[in-house]
Amino acid sequence: MSANIRPAGVFDTGYAQDIALNRTRTDKIQAYGGFVLLLLIPLLTVAGPLGLNIVPQSWIGIINRIGIFTIAVLGLNILIGYTGQISLGHAAFMAVGAYSAAFMVRGFTVGDFAFPALPFWLALPLAALFTGLVGLLFGLPSLRVKGFYLAMATLAAQFIIPWVLRNPLSTWTGGSNPLQVPFPELGPLQFNSSSEMYYIIIPLAVFMALAARNISRTRVGRAFISVRDNDLAAELLGINVFAYKLQAFFLSALFAGVAGALIAFEDNTVSVASFGLDTSILTLGMLIVGGAGFPLGPLFGVAFFRLVEDIVIPFLKDTLLRPETLNSIAQTLPFLDAVKINSSLDPIMFGTALIVFLILEPRGIAHRWEILKISWKLRPYSH
Amino acid sequence: MTAALRDPRKLPSLIATVAVIVIALVWLGPLIASSAPNRLVQSGITGLLVGGVYSLVALGIVVINKASGVFNFAHGGMMMVAGFIFFSFFTTSNIALPFALIYSLVTVGLAVSIFGWRNLLRQPSLIVIGVVAVIALTFVLTLPGPNYKWIRGIVGGAMGAALLGLAVERFTIRPLIGQPLFASVMMTLAVSLILNGTTQLIWGSQPQTLLIFSEVNPIGIEVKASPLRFDTAELLGGNISVERTRLYAFGLSLVAFLAFWLFFRYTSVGLAMRATSENQMLAQSVGLRVRMILAIAWAIAALLAGVAGVLHGGATNLDTNMQYLALRAFPAVLLGGIESIGGALIGGLAIGLTEEYSKLLFSGDIGEQLAPYIVLMVVLVLRPEGLFGQKRIDRI
Amino acid sequence: MKKAQFLLMLVLLVGVFAAPALAQDDAGFPDFIQHTECEEDLTGQNIEILHFGDLSGSYAFITQPLLVGLEDAINYYNSNGGVCGATLSQRFDDTAGVPDQVVATYDRFSTEDPKPQLLVLYASGDAEALRDRVAEDEIPVLISAGSVPGLYGDDGATPGWIFATNPLYTDQLGSFCDFVGNDPMGVFGEGQSIGYISWEGAFGRAADTEEVWSYCESVGVSHAGSEFFLPTTQDISAQVQNLVDAGATILYTNSLATGPALVAATVVNLGLEDQVVLAGVNWALDTSVGLLGQATFGSDGLPSTDGLFGSAPFYWWTETDQPGIALIREQFDAAAETAPESHTPTTQNIAYLLGWQTVDLYTEIYIQTANRVGFENITGADIKETIEGLDYSPLGLTTINFQEGRRSTSANRIAMMGYLAEDGASMADAENPPMVVTVGERQLLVPINVALTDFVDAPDLRPGGADVPEG
Repeated sequence: MSANIRPAGVFDTGYAQDIALNRTRTDKIQAYGGFVLLLLIPLLTVAGPLGLNIVPQSWIGIINRIGIFTIAVLGLNILIGYTGQISLGHAAFMAVGAYSAAFMVRGFTVGDFAFPALPFWLALPLAALFTGLVGLLFGLPSLRVKGFYLAMATLAAQFIIPWVLRNPLSTWTGGSNPLQVPFPELGPLQFNSSSEMYYIIIPLAVFMALAARNISRTRVGRAFISVRDNDLAAELLGINVFAYKLQAFFLSALFAGVAGALIAFEDNTVSVASFGLDTSILTLGMLIVGGAGFPLGPLFGVAFFRLVEDIVIPFLKDTLLRPETLNSIAQTLPFLDAVKINSSLDPIMFGTALIVFLILEPRGIAHRWEILKISWKLRPYSH
Repeated sequence: MTAALRDPRKLPSLIATVAVIVIALVWLGPLIASSAPNRLVQSGITGLLVGGVYSLVALGIVVINKASGVFNFAHGGMMMVAGFIFFSFFTTSNIALPFALIYSLVTVGLAVSIFGWRNLLRQPSLIVIGVVAVIALTFVLTLPGPNYKWIRGIVGGAMGAALLGLAVERFTIRPLIGQPLFASVMMTLAVSLILNGTTQLIWGSQPQTLLIFSEVNPIGIEVKASPLRFDTAELLGGNISVERTRLYAFGLSLVAFLAFWLFFRYTSVGLAMRATSENQMLAQSVGLRVRMILAIAWAIAALLAGVAGVLHGGATNLDTNMQYLALRAFPAVLLGGIESIGGALIGGLAIGLTEEYSKLLFSGDIGEQLAPYIVLMVVLVLRPEGLFGQKRIDRI
Repeated sequence: MKKAQFLLMLVLLVGVFAAPALAQDDAGFPDFIQHTECEEDLTGQNIEILHFGDLSGSYAFITQPLLVGLEDAINYYNSNGGVCGATLSQRFDDTAGVPDQVVATYDRFSTEDPKPQLLVLYASGDAEALRDRVAEDEIPVLISAGSVPGLYGDDGATPGWIFATNPLYTDQLGSFCDFVGNDPMGVFGEGQSIGYISWEGAFGRAADTEEVWSYCESVGVSHAGSEFFLPTTQDISAQVQNLVDAGATILYTNSLATGPALVAATVVNLGLEDQVVLAGVNWALDTSVGLLGQATFGSDGLPSTDGLFGSAPFYWWTETDQPGIALIREQFDAAAETAPESHTPTTQNIAYLLGWQTVDLYTEIYIQTANRVGFENITGADIKETIEGLDYSPLGLTTINFQEGRRSTSANRIAMMGYLAEDGASMADAENPPMVVTVGERQLLVPINVALTDFVDAPDLRPGGADVPEG
């Protein structure tokens, strides 16, 4: 949408300029500057080399999680936002990525044959590729099945994949028990803390976001959108609908694979329980809240969820809803007690935030963002 | 079959069907043959009884989907909350008058204002009906003593369920009319979070025993109805036992199912709901009040959830894990076809049977986690619209 | 109604066991609480008990009473002088049982300034997920019961920073096998076979390991098979019957609340009471199981959960001749006067006792560490050092000894769940009918636990553990 509103006085003189993401020098400075600033954040914490205490250390972990989940939700955005195929099995693909990455860096044996342990930079893309192939497999029902039925077919993936990891593969995965994952190493560098993982996760997240953005602008991306808007019409236009659906499943799983592998490296442990149906639904929720089909939707959605859960709710609990306050509430209302209030606080606050948000902005944060951006560019004639 | 033979385009799916059946027979045949006959019969009976509850849950999800196209993730939460509300009225014999009055007032208020508060002023008769209803309901709820626990439980529980459904529709779903369907689906997820929190807040997290199918044992304690045992040692090589709690729950599920089926088939509101589900705009243009119909659909779905919650709670326990039970009914919904009421029944029973037989034939957690989804995958590949769903013809 | 229910239970239990009133002066602890002498006066300081876990998810019913227990214990300790004058307080967060949220919450707590010196976790799964992080951040963790990978790592031989105050789930099953093999009561006889039936997941599967089964074989108890079910299950008769068909004479469950109650009810409903004996993990002996089990009665006229064997690694509510229990009882009753809603019969459970145990343990750990390094200098590593050298009995409830690289306690005993008989002093059986209490409109029996053995060391059954049979 915003691409249609061009800065006054800027004219495209060549194809390269026409398709550039950053059209003007200001755009470029903003983009690169923003990226550099982002990379500086860990240096401003207590653990940084200067020992500054400007940014709380806990933010690094939060930003890392935002980065990881943004990658996962970007994949979901390709599948749901652009191609219109609902998936309830995204977490299962993340599990595939996490476990395959873990296997590769640990090395494993099948029978007498021992696979050597691979370095981290090789394991990550291989794990992503493998996850993509698994995604392809579970995309096959999309040949015949549509809509909620397809959602259920992907839900089957959500139950089948963890089961396979837990039972037939338990010799390698350790069943329900978590599997230890070594720290990533890149030559002499060891990434063994959140601040260090930051320099793997954030550049990768930016790279994946740009990749997703570019995919959506190519022939493939336009084909995805045509499949989403009307698959019959797309087919009549000569688009191989099934092939594009499979591509979307492949790409979506690939992104999930990268995210899963990063979770494994960041947590240094993987367990099947982290990739349950609730995680799948969570990623879906992040996409919808952020805005499905918008390039920035995944980032906004993930940031909203993480900020509410990790910063807003803890902040409210520390200020407005301190245990003393809760105790006095419990004493005025005889059927309540402090323990019950405490344990119900998180789901109620989070649910309320979601409801209010959905009513105010049902098309997602990215939708509102686009509107704001356009009205900023059109100022002072923003109406 | 003959049609498929004549039409070569249907041949692949026919071959696939035959292949699936052959594989199933070759693989499962020996396993089945090696099981004791009484175990096979026992699993069949338990599977049907367990499937009854799944059917009822599936029906509730189907009703919402038919009326509004939303897949309701909050159904499990509604089951749990409605079940706990029933439990409270069932076990509390001295409901305070102010509480009963407010409770009735809110429920009746939401019910009569389905059309919006402004319409209420135009139709004074509704107000009169409302006032009478409030008085009557308050009276019933404040009936003292354990003798009236059934009427108190049923009335209070039904009111709670209806209140829940109407409130969810009014405050969360209605504001999203005209917005993307995704937002509504997400909204049901948010509602399920709130319902979980509310349950923790009011009832805590301790599992409760709901003695609706009960008997008094020799030492004077009320316990769950004891199972029926059939001596079939000669016939089947072992005994068959049928839990009466499940049998009653199954029977009541079928009754509820029949009642709702008749409602959709014959009452004018039911017919209007079916019309709305076909095409909301068309229904509106022939004078049906789509908003009212949506509200009624949510109330009915919540009632169904309540019945399922109470019956499941009576057969096992009432606890906060009940909200996750609805997830296990999802395959049943899709197996039968998301538009089909009869399909929900067959789907539920089929999932129940699948679970029980795979528990019998394989150890581990295949029966509860894997088998329903494998069956669902196979069915969806063979029949993409479910067993009884409508085959839609897409037009450009 | 709930108040009446609670008060009746209370009056009954107190009357029955005639808890001896404890003689104590206003300030200072009763004699049986033997903390190390304080070398430093810490008045004005505060020690925060930091804990987090699943407070609103599927394990909420077991974790919520812990909050109440901690609160009551903290109040009691603070009013008796605290930790050398320092006050105790608790702070916690809810992770709703979502693994990702566990890590996020941990990140938030662990990066606080000052860094936490000691944490309390509830679930063995959380401990497994955080094992590496707490080691890296040097924050020791106390947990009630843990699994091998959480405490000793993948290889079962690398002690970490997490300390469990109950025996490992594997060791609990091992000591139950000992009990069956030795058969001190003469009820089992030869050729017993255990069928393992539990919740799906890391907790439910924690005791189902090869080491455990080979140990059990070595004491003459075989393994008939393992079956798993989900907490949302509708019916487990197929699984129970599978195990019995495979020759199980004992059904052992590693689940809690509805889990053991469902196994017990299913056994009764299938008419298998004469063929199998029930047993379970320490959580299976919990009050919640005893109350839920009353919905189904066996043919002996007692609830289905009557006679359930289990591990009882610490003293139980009914053992009021134990001064620690008597004190907790007394304080529970007093707290119930002011907050009846949070002090119901179901609050009188394991987790409430654990809350008290934790507070006493905290007090001792902090006194010892402050004596050694000075309160201002305490770090996580100092606390770990203290815990590693600890040989202490919090409130006399259990023995905690983490010396020689152990990460879980080993003192365990076997108890049996029963119901109070009409005479109010013994356990009900076929001849001795149970006492029926009318609470509100419900008739209830009173669940009790009776210890069958003394405290003995549970076998060490982690991979490569001392008691794992060779080969």
